[in-house]
Amino acid sequence: MTKKNELCADIGYLSINHAGENLCGDHVEKVETDDSLVLVLADGLGSGVKASILSTLTSKIISTMIAAGLKLEDCVETIAATLPVCSVRGVAYSTFTIIRIVDNKRAEIIQYDNPKSILIRNGENYEYPVETLEIGGKRITKADIELQEGDVFIAMSDGVEHAGVGIRYNFGWKRSDIIEFMKTFVPVGFTAKTLTKILLDECDRLYDGQPGDDATVCTVKMRPRTPVNLMFGPPADRADNDKVMSLFFSSPGKHIVCGGTTSTIAAKWLDKPLVPKLEYLDPEIPPTAEIEGVDLVTEGVITVSRVLEYAKDYLKDNGKYEKWSCGRDGASLIARMLFEDATDVSFFVGRAVNPAHQNPDLPITFNIKMRLVEELSDCLGKMGKKINVSYF
Amino acid sequence: MMKITVCIGSSCHLKGSREVVEGLQKLISERGLKDSIELAGTFCLGQCQTGVNVLIGEERFSVTPDTVTEFFEKDVLPRIK
Repeated sequence: MTKKNELCADIGYLSINHAGENLCGDHVEKVETDDSLVLVLADGLGSGVKASILSTLTSKIISTMIAAGLKLEDCVETIAATLPVCSVRGVAYSTFTIIRIVDNKRAEIIQYDNPKSILIRNGENYEYPVETLEIGGKRITKADIELQEGDVFIAMSDGVEHAGVGIRYNFGWKRSDIIEFMKTFVPVGFTAKTLTKILLDECDRLYDGQPGDDATVCTVKMRPRTPVNLMFGPPADRADNDKVMSLFFSSPGKHIVCGGTTSTIAAKWLDKPLVPKLEYLDPEIPPTAEIEGVDLVTEGVITVSRVLEYAKDYLKDNGKYEKWSCGRDGASLIARMLFEDATDVSFFVGRAVNPAHQNPDLPITFNIKMRLVEELSDCLGKMGKKINVSYF
Repeated sequence: MMKITVCIGSSCHLKGSREVVEGLQKLISERGLKDSIELAGTFCLGQCQTGVNVLIGEERFSVTPDTVTEFFEKDVLPRIK
């Protein structure tokens, strides 16, 4: 593995809208190139459709130019020079924060008028130095930071700082208050998406559920790469069993085996006993089992179906988080390993057809298994994980 | 010591393994037979058509959540020495 791959960026962003608005006036755009990752958080002036169009335009222009290989300075210059200034208010329509992660080693943070992004390093606030540039008549700040494992960047629109104005605070929530609030959650090890949700939920609470401005949070967490391997189903050809098992168990990282027959084969290959448990921690999910040398052994289709349900929910509003984040049933355990721990997921999918399952009375046919893998890998890809699927 | 093994594979699970396991656990404790019967789980026995599959020792039986008590009276109790 190259040095470049030692760290990776875990990203999460969410917005809450100005009370009564269907559209958000903030916009986050993400672009990945070979050696870098660019996040643009733009905040259109005001709220509603005008703000939404302008922030979308701003973030799209910047991210597209960067993806096309143009220098960041040129992109900022173009935006700063072309952003219209509101005729009524005399200020630019859209402010922005750009976080660019290069080779997972350095971060550049370029900001125009958004609240200064927070960096929590080793559990403490780290006030990184910034230089101020004058580009196209606009004051742009730029910071260049050497990344460390565990660094958490929190970029936000001013709607976050304004939370609680006139309701709980006279002048809203101060940046130092936000830092103190987040410092208590960062060491717990939450993912970027969860940290984002925690901060926005607090904002929403301070606004009494009636946000006076659009509020957006974008969190980037630098974490070490963690591969997880998941085997699902026995190989189509029995003669391949040994080959597939040796490939699976020689892959670095954690190992999950799903499926009764599959785990029987794994146990035989490892020459260790397979011990199913009889605990029904979730009445609908079959119990897990134990094999020495395997991190997790579960039933197949039913358990994985539930994991897929959690994955789809995670990508929406993560409302079922409370269920899978502390459950000890097979589906919750897989969900935590895949959604929270893993940065790289390798699926080893066996194409064997279980003759006993090809019964019209049972909702667990071969096709469902293939579809589950496709949908789940798709969801995990959307969570920003590197996915590799091999069929046997 | 008698060993009863219940299949908890996907197919048997859908046919009611959990209810069978819970039924047996209840009956075993009600009759005070915890010292003479060991209850265990197993993954697929390859006989999904006749699920829920339950083994007494090596002998296989087909049980459903409705027939647990009947199975216990007829097949389990007489085999306890």
